[in-house]
Amino acid sequence: MSTHTGTAAKRKAPDSTTEAASKKRRSPTRVNPALYLFPLPAVAIIAFFLVMPTLQAFQYAVTDWNGFSAAFNYVGVDNFVRAFTKDSLFTNALTNNLKFVLLVVIAQTVFSLLLALLLVKNSRGNVVLRALFFFPTILSSVSVAFIWKFIYDPNFGLANSALGAIGLEGLQGSYLGNNSQALYWVAVTQVWFHAGQMMVVYIAGLQAIPRELYEAAEMDGANKWQQFKSITWPFVAPATSIVVAYTTVQSFKAFDLILGIAGNPPKGSLDILSTRIYSTFANSEFGYAAAQSIIFMGMIALVTWLQRRLLRLTPKGE
Amino acid sequence: MSQISRRQAMAVLGALGFGATAAACAGPGGSTAPGGATGPAAPATGAITGRVSFAHWRGEDKAVFDELIKRFAAKNSGVEVVQDISTSNDYNAQGLQKVRGAAIGDSFATFRGAQFNNFSEAGIYTELKNSKAVGNYQKGLLAAGQSGDSQLGLPYQVVFPMPMANTDLFDKAGAELAPKDWDAFLAMCEKLASSGVVPISWPGGDVGNGGQLFNCMIANNAPADDMCAQIEQGKLKCTDDWFIKMLNQYKDLIPYLQPNATGTAVEPAQNLFSQGKAAMLATGSYHIAAVRNLGAAFPIELVFPNTSTDGNATFEGVYNATFILGVNSASKNQAAAAAWIDFLSEPENAGYYANQTAQHVSVKDVEYTNADLKRLSPWLDKKTALAARFQFQNLDVRNAVEASATAVISGSSPEQAAEAAQKIVDERL
Repeated sequence: MSTHTGTAAKRKAPDSTTEAASKKRRSPTRVNPALYLFPLPAVAIIAFFLVMPTLQAFQYAVTDWNGFSAAFNYVGVDNFVRAFTKDSLFTNALTNNLKFVLLVVIAQTVFSLLLALLLVKNSRGNVVLRALFFFPTILSSVSVAFIWKFIYDPNFGLANSALGAIGLEGLQGSYLGNNSQALYWVAVTQVWFHAGQMMVVYIAGLQAIPRELYEAAEMDGANKWQQFKSITWPFVAPATSIVVAYTTVQSFKAFDLILGIAGNPPKGSLDILSTRIYSTFANSEFGYAAAQSIIFMGMIALVTWLQRRLLRLTPKGE
Repeated sequence: MSQISRRQAMAVLGALGFGATAAACAGPGGSTAPGGATGPAAPATGAITGRVSFAHWRGEDKAVFDELIKRFAAKNSGVEVVQDISTSNDYNAQGLQKVRGAAIGDSFATFRGAQFNNFSEAGIYTELKNSKAVGNYQKGLLAAGQSGDSQLGLPYQVVFPMPMANTDLFDKAGAELAPKDWDAFLAMCEKLASSGVVPISWPGGDVGNGGQLFNCMIANNAPADDMCAQIEQGKLKCTDDWFIKMLNQYKDLIPYLQPNATGTAVEPAQNLFSQGKAAMLATGSYHIAAVRNLGAAFPIELVFPNTSTDGNATFEGVYNATFILGVNSASKNQAAAAAWIDFLSEPENAGYYANQTAQHVSVKDVEYTNADLKRLSPWLDKKTALAARFQFQNLDVRNAVEASATAVISGSSPEQAAEAAQKIVDERL
């Protein structure tokens, strides 16, 4: 600082106020400090609605507060220990959720990429089909849940009626009533609900790939699979990264869909972390529910980070 | 106006951050429950004016309450009652947080059991012991709204969580409506099945409605009237013989339920019944209006699945006193809220509510003109057990215990299902 101002000081030796004022005028990178207040409303909103509740969750997580009493006790890490060692409902929800995430991430990524590959050209028919596949995305999750609840109904539902109509009565089932299958049927619904949205992300990624690369590959004699492996897949990696991360978070938080389709509280085979946390809150165990929420937050962060590492979706240096 | 320096700007942001952190670190709880050591106070008195929020979960009764609100407003000029309605599941889960502080719910209703107790513990109720309304109720039905010596709430509805029966189909099959024991009940189901209908439509895919059958199945099997409270406290176990016996009786029902019963939601179950495809709907009398709206024109009776094996049943049925009305202790308009509760509790208005919604009420001297209520009124005088599932204070325990029945119907052995349920109970002892 002294080096920067030394020459001017020797030449003119002005008083310090004048010097400071002229520095402000001269420096092209200098920002009017009042501008620092411009983000204040946004910072206040984030602090009030995001930072504060998150910090509070950490504090509640070490208490046995029931949500309404003035009295509570600090219980240390007991709530966290309980979640992993003494609460089979929580570990069941965690297992269900991881299974659900895995199923949906794989199915939704593959299905949406497949749709995008088939509909990437901007022909009139493709535009119509894209709109059709995108349509479920604009529905509310509660509507989707109710539509599928009735599709899966074993007595009046579309699924069993359709199977009956084509003579496949043997394949008719209980769907959501079958504990070993229920989660898979909800995963089908989730994929139906969001694959169109992910397809749009992939189409944008696919349309950004230079045509010349495919032409060069064709001239080199590369078949379709080789073109996909060497050109399409690496070039849609950023889109895949978005799709996988978004689908992961979405599947972890499929709260409204599960509650709409399976009722409140959902039965054990459909209980996922978000619905379990809700049940714990509803059961007047706020401290324990806060601890579960923190585990939930950590779990999403961990799974997302692992995915990006394992799938190498983030190139080095980015 | 002087310019703010960067240092000042950072100080403001820093103070904001510190404030947020400090606020976040404030302990939970915050305020003590109203009433405190002196217990709940009676609602404040004063002018019956202003806006009263009535929080409840009976969306299907909205129009009936609207009419009653009109009548109430006509009687008390300057008062306005608005209904804040949530779905029953949401109200069960979030009712306390919504009503606490009285932003809504100057007057409100609660479910019997865990929710009433939580509201009571949170000090949300005022004392209605000396209210004008309390004298209008049948004394024996007030217990569900009591806490110690206080009468905090007034259980408004009397419902029978027992299977409803299409008597036309029973007559056609020559089946008995009042089986004396379990064998007679199964024989009745067999006759119905032989006549070509589904004997029991059971919404096994809906935890709340599917669980109502549990009230009937446990009533005469358990060794004590407070069996569910004892299970929760660890005094009785799901692995006890009596409980396993009950689960075996659930297993007996499998051939008489609609196919894939555990995947059936409540609306399709109602449809099976209202369309005459099923002879019984195993939910309760609270669904009479719903099945009538679906077009059921046949006479409806109630059937108690009597689980007694020797014909000496303690109970002839089950009932529940619920929709417990209360006045919010945090309300700024307690006088008008209390007047609204008094108004609802007058026999004439309670009668209007009952006849329009096809639900019995616990208010005395009500004239039932609704044909269904008239037919079912004898059940008010029978020896019925108070629905046991509402004794559970912990909803995880309740769901786990009831899920054992669903598991049996799904194909698990009663012993396995009981052990799975007991494991969850043990974890929460």
